[in-house]
Amino acid sequence: MSARRLSHGGRIDRAKTISFDWEGRKLTGYPGDTLASALMAGGQRVIGRSFKYHRPRGIMSAGVEESGAIVTLGDGAWRDPNVKATTQELYDGLVARGQHAWPNLHFDMGGVANFFSRFLPAGFYYKTFMGMPPFEWGSGTGWWMRYEKLIRRAAGMGTASRAPDPDAYEHAHAFCDLLVVGSGPAGLSAALVAAQSGLEVILVEQDFEFGGDLLNQANPESETKRIELLSAIHTAGVRTMSRTTAFGLYENSVAGLVERVTDHLANPADYLPRQRFWTVRSKQTVLATGALERLIAFGNNDRPGIMSANAGRTYLNRYGVLPGENIIVVTNNDSPYQPALELAKAGATVHLIDARTTTPELEKGCGVSVKSESIPIKAHGSKGIRGLESTASEGIQSCDLLLVSGGWSPVVHLLSHRGIKLVWDAQIACFLPGDTDAPIHVAGSAAGIWGSKDCGASGQVAAAKALGQLGHDIKLPTGKISRGSGWDLPIKPLYEIKVPGRKLQSFVDLQHDVTSEDVRLAHREGFQSVEHLKRFTTLGMATDQGKMGNIIGMALMAEALGKNIHDMGTTTFRPPYTPVSLGALGGRHVDSNFRPIRRTPLHDWNLSNGAIMTLAGLWDRPWYFPREGETIEDAYIREATVARKSVGLCDITSLGKIAVQGPDTAEFLNRIYTNPFAKLSIGKARYGIMLRDDGMVMDDGTCWRLTETDYFMTTTTAHAATVMVWLEELLQVRWPDLKVHVTSVSDQWAGCTVAGPNSRAVLEACVTDPTLISNETCPFMGVIETTLTGAIPSRIARISFSGELAFEVYVPSDYGPSMMDLLFNASKPLDGCLYGLEALGTLRIEKGHVTGAELDGRVTIEDAGLGKMASKQKSYIGDVLRKRPVMLDKNRARLVGIFPKDRTQRFNAGTILCKPGAISGFGEGWITGATYSPALGHWIGIGFISGGFESWVGQTVVVADPVRDQNINVEIVLPQMFDPAGKRSHD
Amino acid sequence: MISSPIKRVSALASDYTRGRFGADGKIGVVLKEVPDLTLYQVAAWPDNLATVSAKTAEATGVEAAPGPGRAVWKGNHVLLRVEPLKFWITGIFIPQLPSTEGTVLDLSHSRTHVRVIGPQAQIMLNRYLPLDLRNQSFVPGSVASTAFHHVGITLWRSEVGFELFLPRGFALSLWGLLRQSAAQFGYEVA
Repeated sequence: MSARRLSHGGRIDRAKTISFDWEGRKLTGYPGDTLASALMAGGQRVIGRSFKYHRPRGIMSAGVEESGAIVTLGDGAWRDPNVKATTQELYDGLVARGQHAWPNLHFDMGGVANFFSRFLPAGFYYKTFMGMPPFEWGSGTGWWMRYEKLIRRAAGMGTASRAPDPDAYEHAHAFCDLLVVGSGPAGLSAALVAAQSGLEVILVEQDFEFGGDLLNQANPESETKRIELLSAIHTAGVRTMSRTTAFGLYENSVAGLVERVTDHLANPADYLPRQRFWTVRSKQTVLATGALERLIAFGNNDRPGIMSANAGRTYLNRYGVLPGENIIVVTNNDSPYQPALELAKAGATVHLIDARTTTPELEKGCGVSVKSESIPIKAHGSKGIRGLESTASEGIQSCDLLLVSGGWSPVVHLLSHRGIKLVWDAQIACFLPGDTDAPIHVAGSAAGIWGSKDCGASGQVAAAKALGQLGHDIKLPTGKISRGSGWDLPIKPLYEIKVPGRKLQSFVDLQHDVTSEDVRLAHREGFQSVEHLKRFTTLGMATDQGKMGNIIGMALMAEALGKNIHDMGTTTFRPPYTPVSLGALGGRHVDSNFRPIRRTPLHDWNLSNGAIMTLAGLWDRPWYFPREGETIEDAYIREATVARKSVGLCDITSLGKIAVQGPDTAEFLNRIYTNPFAKLSIGKARYGIMLRDDGMVMDDGTCWRLTETDYFMTTTTAHAATVMVWLEELLQVRWPDLKVHVTSVSDQWAGCTVAGPNSRAVLEACVTDPTLISNETCPFMGVIETTLTGAIPSRIARISFSGELAFEVYVPSDYGPSMMDLLFNASKPLDGCLYGLEALGTLRIEKGHVTGAELDGRVTIEDAGLGKMASKQKSYIGDVLRKRPVMLDKNRARLVGIFPKDRTQRFNAGTILCKPGAISGFGEGWITGATYSPALGHWIGIGFISGGFESWVGQTVVVADPVRDQNINVEIVLPQMFDPAGKRSHD
Repeated sequence: MISSPIKRVSALASDYTRGRFGADGKIGVVLKEVPDLTLYQVAAWPDNLATVSAKTAEATGVEAAPGPGRAVWKGNHVLLRVEPLKFWITGIFIPQLPSTEGTVLDLSHSRTHVRVIGPQAQIMLNRYLPLDLRNQSFVPGSVASTAFHHVGITLWRSEVGFELFLPRGFALSLWGLLRQSAAQFGYEVA
């Protein structure tokens, strides 16, 4: 290995040494290094193994287009595969290793695949394992499914950690007049002109330093210019964001960015997110995204020690690393001449092989020899290049570094995201941005302008166009900037080297090991579209998304078809431009913040009184209140028993609550509920059912009339938001003439059910005027507004979900804990208890009351056993469509209760009801809830079965539980399994 | 009017510790719950919006009711136009209106009022809110309904900073997120 760190030059800080771990060995580098530059300076050539053939690969670029130096960073939960060493900043303690090799990078058993590469062309695995005779004879995927895991393991690109990501990520939003992507000469100039003209500008740069190609220059004037521009844009107020990639451009000038906040830090502060996902909304966008240097497909063009010519220059001038001592540069254009001169000046021997007849003139004694009309044929060497076979000389010309320049491809990906067509420019052999009406302006090399000075000028033009579209009176800078500006001599297109009679293994897409022969195979197989070529060969589908190889692939396909590249077109680039971690996409939507948790005002009170909580939708609700030594089953049976025998208290705040106000409210309610509401008296509540337009049950709940025009509606917890949105839609769209306002007051009121024979006694001890709770003043479904002790305002309704004498008590939320103190203290002398969601379920199943588990959107009012609540005297939403024959079919699944034949047995919710001997498919019905019933002394269930109770009287039904492999014989009963006449709640 | 001598319990009670947190030596954000919110909603009918607007302005002590998306205030009485036909009024009790004119609804316990101020307040809030909160776009007196971690909230910009009305049930969850994101700027719970 002949790459070495120079004693001077570069943008690194030699005053401080950084230690890092590569493949278990300690290496060093400097601040300002990337992992790639430090590895190169440390003599490392083989950095990874290729995707399919396990060929050794080295550093091939100095940026995001890297196809070879792809590594895994970190250990344990921090293990991060597929990191490009060329973009990873070096930091103290960094741990990295090569990937896709066993037992190690230098001796990889998988390398045997390379010997069989001629038998493993594009499409091999699918064609071989799908429909494989004699097993499947041409169709079928059985064998593929069997071997897919092994095949994918043999290929693949690194292994992600299975542990939860320990880092934090976050989202952010930003707004500006102008977003400038890229901080090369074009981007800096555009940002400066725009900001000095008064625009609010955000400048984003994926690198950790601003300057783009200015960072790679050897001449001090470039650095002076860079510093001046940077200083000027900061003075002008430009917001600059480094380590930030604009990965996608979307409609309405929305850009997606990822900012790598701590990926370069050895010990980041724990309050910093690792990455930040930005959504930027700008009025105008300037894309100064630069261009990427292409490779040429010649034999073994993937060997370690082969890289783009500009990368060689970058390692020299930016990182102070001489990448080789004996260098061959192959080209078809002007761009590598300056790098060649600089490398020679740094001490290397440089031979330049140019495919063109006419080449730029170099000064004598410059240290660079030029051979024109010559092309490379085949690289020699395995784990490092040792020579090149070319038409420039006989035999193999020795070298330790081969720099390649096959031309340049403007980075037009973000334009492609917006659906803007790209246009092939044959003169400079690349795709350029097509015309667009979108507020997007392309500048610099991204627009096919190569010279640094001209790039700056084009940035000014782009900014002027953006200003003009924003109404600023700006004159466009004068002076024509033509495409290809910066080159003295034209490029000679050169994509692949073919030698008659020889088979050269030349790679087009190095990340996915797609060869020139694979492209021709695709043609022979009948593929013609570039999109089909991509999918058959996987060309351009790896993490680099074809940044290096796409153009060559298209050129080869065009040649095979006898077309021009222009006629082939290009594939559509889609976001992201570079990979975005799932963590960044998730932001803070992880762990307890995966969804926002909703807590009742009684949350802390419940916890301090021993509640075990459970999530019900977004709500964190009390599940049960165990006493010492109790299991959940012990607890809920005790709680339900106490509620039936004395009194129980339950937090019901999660019920949806809606204030319905206005002079037309009675009419409004009468239209949305199936049962009559027009004549509901003040001080009374009524149970009601709402249907959807299609006649299915939407929700059930109660509605309390507080005054002539004020109502208080409750909904199920599950459907609270659905009902609220529905009512808003009805009032805004269908009945805007009704004077009704609806407002969610779910958060305004804390609610507690007081249920049981002693519930009145409890309330009498808590309200300011106990006489209000009497049976006369507060009969069943009666409503009162009063105060609790301490002048706590409250609304109370005698409503029962448990089937007991019960009251729902609501107070303003901040008084919730005080309400609970009052009620609980009053219940203690009566041996009352708190009960949770589990006991609530027990009590309601015993009564056959429905919840969101039953009202799942597939249930008619008749299915739910509530057909008597469908008024025949009025029309209401869902009235017409609920009468469709299929909805009234008597064989529809109807609500029933379920008892085990053997009362000692139990069964589970979610199980299927089947006929004996016919346990298959969806059966005859299903169970939505099951519980031990303390009131009945055995397990019971609620669910639906075809035809309902009447169809199954006296018959045995099987509860089939295929998950647990249990079948239990049950009998079907009426859903009202306890106190069917309702005496306990009504009397 | 809902009032009681009993102390109100905040939704943030279990996670409200005054002090300085996060990045050392910096206070980029100050978070403060404004306790004991008094909040009434006044909603008009389309045909008498002018009448109701005038009444709300009179009740609040301001010259005229604001247009949609705006707020006006006098002292600690604030009048916000949260919907074309709906106002929110804070800091003052509002009696019932004749039902022919509109409706009044007490929402005092439905929201948790969090004030976010400090030099980094806008940037920190934009970690969640997809709104243009820049000084020139969201000037003092601006009102918006927006989404905070999927939760619908209302905010307005006062002379001192951003005033968030968080649905009470979600308030603790959102408060935790505010604290998480504020840590990088250094923050104080006042």
